Amino acid sequence: MLLNPFKFHSPQKLEEAVSLYNSLPGVRILAGGTFLINNLKLLKKKGLKTPENIISLRRIDELKGISCHKKELSIKALTSVSELYSSLSLLEYSQIFKAVSRNLATTPIRNMATIGGNLMCRYCWTEFPALLIALKANLHFIATDLKEEAVPVEEFFKNSAKSEKILTRVTLTLDPQNCICYQSVRKSSSVDIPLLAVCIKTKFSKKRFSETIVAVNNGTSFARRDSVLENFLNQSECSIKTADESSQHLDTSLYDASRDDYKEHMFRVTIKNTLRELMTGRHP
Amino acid sequence: MTTLIINDKEYHLPLQGHETLLEVLRDQLGLTGTKTACQDAECGSCTVLINKKAVLSCLTLACAVAGEEITTIEGLAQGDQLHPLQQAFLDHGAVQCGFCTPGMILAAKALLDKNPKPTEEEIRQALDGNLCRCGGYLKIFDAVKQAGENLAKTKG
Amino acid sequence: MAMPNAHYQEFTQPVGKSVPRIDGRGLVTGQTKYTFDLAFPNMLVGKMLRSPHPHARILSIDTSKAEKLPGVKAIITAQDTHQIRFGSNEYFFPHTSDQMALELDKVRYVGDEIGAVAAVDEQTAEMALKLIDVKYEILPAVFDVLEAIKPGAPQIHENIRNNIALILPVNFGNVEKALKESDYVHEDQFFTHSAAHCCLEPHVCIGQWEDCSDKITLWVSTQAPFKIREALAKCLKKELNAVRVIKLPTGGGFGGKLEMLPMDFAACLLSKKAGGLPVKICYSREEEFSFSRRKHAMHYKLKSGVKKDGTLMAISGEIFADGGAYCSYGPTVLAAAMMRIFMVYKIQHFRITGYRVYTNTPISGAIRGFGGVQSGFSIESHMDLLARGIGMDPVEFRLKNITTANMVTTNKMILSTNGLRECIEKATQESNWKGKWSKQKHLSRGIGIGIAADVMGSKMYKAHESAGSIIKIEDDGSVYLFTGAADTGQGSNTVLSQIAAQELGVSYNRIRCTSADTEITPFDTGSFASRVTFISGNATLLAARDAKNQILNIVAEEYKMDPENLSLEAEKVINKKDNSVIITFDKALQLCYSFKYGRQIIGRGSYNPKTTPVDFRTGEGNVSGSYGFEAQIAEVEVNKETGEVKLLKIWDAHDIGKAINPQSVKGQIEGSITMGIGFTFTEDLKLKDGRVVNPNFANYRIPRSVEIPPIESILIETNDPQGPFGAKGMGEAALLPTSAAIANAIDDAIGVRIKDLPITPEKILRALREKEKTEIKDKKEREL
Repeated sequence: MLLNPFKFHSPQKLEEAVSLYNSLPGVRILAGGTFLINNLKLLKKKGLKTPENIISLRRIDELKGISCHKKELSIKALTSVSELYSSLSLLEYSQIFKAVSRNLATTPIRNMATIGGNLMCRYCWTEFPALLIALKANLHFIATDLKEEAVPVEEFFKNSAKSEKILTRVTLTLDPQNCICYQSVRKSSSVDIPLLAVCIKTKFSKKRFSETIVAVNNGTSFARRDSVLENFLNQSECSIKTADESSQHLDTSLYDASRDDYKEHMFRVTIKNTLRELMTGRHP
Repeated sequence: MTTLIINDKEYHLPLQGHETLLEVLRDQLGLTGTKTACQDAECGSCTVLINKKAVLSCLTLACAVAGEEITTIEGLAQGDQLHPLQQAFLDHGAVQCGFCTPGMILAAKALLDKNPKPTEEEIRQALDGNLCRCGGYLKIFDAVKQAGENLAKTKG
Repeated sequence: MAMPNAHYQEFTQPVGKSVPRIDGRGLVTGQTKYTFDLAFPNMLVGKMLRSPHPHARILSIDTSKAEKLPGVKAIITAQDTHQIRFGSNEYFFPHTSDQMALELDKVRYVGDEIGAVAAVDEQTAEMALKLIDVKYEILPAVFDVLEAIKPGAPQIHENIRNNIALILPVNFGNVEKALKESDYVHEDQFFTHSAAHCCLEPHVCIGQWEDCSDKITLWVSTQAPFKIREALAKCLKKELNAVRVIKLPTGGGFGGKLEMLPMDFAACLLSKKAGGLPVKICYSREEEFSFSRRKHAMHYKLKSGVKKDGTLMAISGEIFADGGAYCSYGPTVLAAAMMRIFMVYKIQHFRITGYRVYTNTPISGAIRGFGGVQSGFSIESHMDLLARGIGMDPVEFRLKNITTANMVTTNKMILSTNGLRECIEKATQESNWKGKWSKQKHLSRGIGIGIAADVMGSKMYKAHESAGSIIKIEDDGSVYLFTGAADTGQGSNTVLSQIAAQELGVSYNRIRCTSADTEITPFDTGSFASRVTFISGNATLLAARDAKNQILNIVAEEYKMDPENLSLEAEKVINKKDNSVIITFDKALQLCYSFKYGRQIIGRGSYNPKTTPVDFRTGEGNVSGSYGFEAQIAEVEVNKETGEVKLLKIWDAHDIGKAINPQSVKGQIEGSITMGIGFTFTEDLKLKDGRVVNPNFANYRIPRSVEIPPIESILIETNDPQGPFGAKGMGEAALLPTSAAIANAIDDAIGVRIKDLPITPEKILRALREKEKTEIKDKKEREL
């Protein structure tokens, strides 16, 4: 067998899932399976402890779907990456979600992987954190008392992306003035792990940047904001010069080049190219 | 007892819970058309369709998909009659060693069921999860395009 | 009367037609059973016990705890064996029989097999392995080729000084004189890296040693069942006829399944110890990457000279090949790396010494190209630089120096048909070489060429490398072809069936092909060196001709005609004189099997190409019955900011003699080029302290659908007089020049030369920076 034995639970209601999650020992949540199942295989191979109970959220309809209410977009946790790639229900954010989803692994994995899993799996190099930080999203968790708790996504990743509760949905505020761009570059041609993913959101006001958020994922720690670059951009105008100078205004602690010329070069080039793309009109 | 619906047939199996769909298909049901070349979610040879979408059976728990519509390569031909994709693969030389073929055909089927006239770019993307070491990609693209045209003809 | 392949259209005269694969239906429906899929009743699962150390002496192996584990049925170590050494090149180099199926005294690489376990399931087998207590005395290890040949380096094999398994010195003419007479002399070093076969079906076998009959059967995923039989019989000390090796449908070989591995041996011996129960051993993907075979990493040092007019005067240098812990096919790989140069270039003065060196790393063996890929990259890059050195167009340079038809090369290879010139001309025409070379730098685009030659087999296994075929035709008109040739996906069953049908004058869908079973089919050395179409094809043609003649003789007797005046065409016996139909094929068969004649139709064919094995002392030898040729052109666009190379298109013009199945041929070309692209850019088998550190597809990336550029294959048919219906072979050549064509194109695009593979964005950026620094320095010096 590929996996060590465990007891499998498939609740149909969120309430049931919460109750099981809080009562069962050695329990893990199963969303799409693209993270968890591989992880379980690895743990077994290494002879490490594996969970006794697995709760599959697959049957819970309350965790499926994308909706919009009064400029607030609500993406339920089990929305697959494929759906994020092609859904028009994401309205003005459809393009940017497509850009982020496009490079995620391969088609069958995109069909299976969920946004919830992508956020909760605690791999620091996953794709959606940077985007959601840039869009100032909120993550909603359900507690034992079945009350929903909202946590700003930036805060969640500052606290090592951990939660004792089940993620139910992600909410975003629609804003037609938001301009967003995302780029990622691979670590090397022979591996599929990103070296750097950057998501920049801004509002152009009189040809100047404003309310800029730069969310950066360097593949070795959770996505964070580069406030140094944000400050520089918020004082700069929309021009090629700004893009070219951007690499001199980085929070260097976020870009671990480890005396690697290539990495350092690619960090600078990626930021510059993201800004160029942003400025040449990639609007939502 | 867990009920799996595979190729429109019901199977009632005493599963414990930790069996992957891949293992159930190959080891318990003898449906060895679904292959595996890595067990690492990289090769795509274990691709099956669940609710018409291409997914990796090595990453799917059999119990999690009880009652859902599962299609394996064995479910494509109707008796003697090959599915247009299978025929197109034969006609276009898209089969070499054949190990990737079941997964490749199913991934292509998922695409054509949604979009019978895909561009080459769309075909490439739909098959990006299926490795072919014999390197038959170009002929596979031709086969998928042809199959799409044939399917459209029979429908329209 | 049920036809075996009734679903296919009628295909008479199938040679030259892209008929569907004869075994295709089973593959597209998932019904074909590979060895990977087979399970027999009461089958046990076998696992190999491996060394965790790169170099160590085995002090003791205690299996007692493992034996007590419930579910364990058999455990073997070297003590259970005859401790016989085997090798894959032993015919020419007896000293390269350097490996034991289970090592007795010493382990020489991480993964070296020292034992095996058979148990009721995988979990129990794995637990049993952990319970076997092995005591090692760790020895110093060496991982680098140049370190390994230094005096004082750890000695890996007894009696092998400086860890040099083999030196191949090839020396013709007077290199020193020729270099002195050259107008331009150029020195280079090239490095090619290690790579993996990545067959989708891993190494897998089922062995059974029956108690009652003492008969051994091995079902196996392989390219060379007869080679495995020979090695098994040798190591198990049995007669050849006591061992049966059955090759089942195989999911890829690419050179990695050309020999017996310890697992094949272990499956059989474990079965005996377990009372005759079948034992299945299957490699995980990690084992595939880490413990099967890999490509020889090679270091080429080259120094060559040319005249101003482009005449190639001399090639000299050294090749260091990292062989890993044992020899495998290493000597032949090294020889092939050098011999191929003579197939494409007219060169009188040549001195290259090749060294195959042992290191404490996983075994390097045969992999598609057989040294030709490493050679292709190094030599074709080197040739490009020589051309640039004298300001000559690389295509003109090639045309000036290539071999021709009907000539004997410096090392005595006999080239009959030779389409190389036509290949170069067609490829340059289709790609618009003249309009692009050196003209697209402003777009960071470039175009590059590489040329290569293909062999059709080579005598590296036995004194003969013949193939045999048997054809029996039964009274219902079904044609059964028995061939020893191993179809690993390249379509040999199909091509041989086409040849049989064509020669017999019957429809392709009458043929039923059984192949590669040592008990049933005639001998065949295996699927390697692109030999099957040519050698096995000729054997099949002869068998078909024999069967046809038997039928025509009966018809002639019945109709009182001269058999010389009869022929079989389009399923009819024809009177050649007036093209009238005598009887149909079906009626002719019924006649043969009638009460009057009662004659079974069994045709036999044997073909051994008129070749000579390579004389490894001199490098001379006409290794192949015929030679195939190709020219490959790659066009690239380089992003100077990120170092990324976009492959725009590849053109490949290939002299294949005659395309028996054009679609199959193009499939092989495209497949080879895809592998070549992977080798050039993303595939890199990395080792650290003798251990493979990226044994999975996530970190060893082979090309995916989204990465393949358009490939245009142009087939040139030179109709080889020796090949079946004019065909040469096809299987390997297309990836030989790919890396060089790409590296040459990058040089054309941005003026930097990458001399070590793989080509990564990092290397491109570094080279661009170096180029910039050099240009600034030169500019300053000019200004001073």
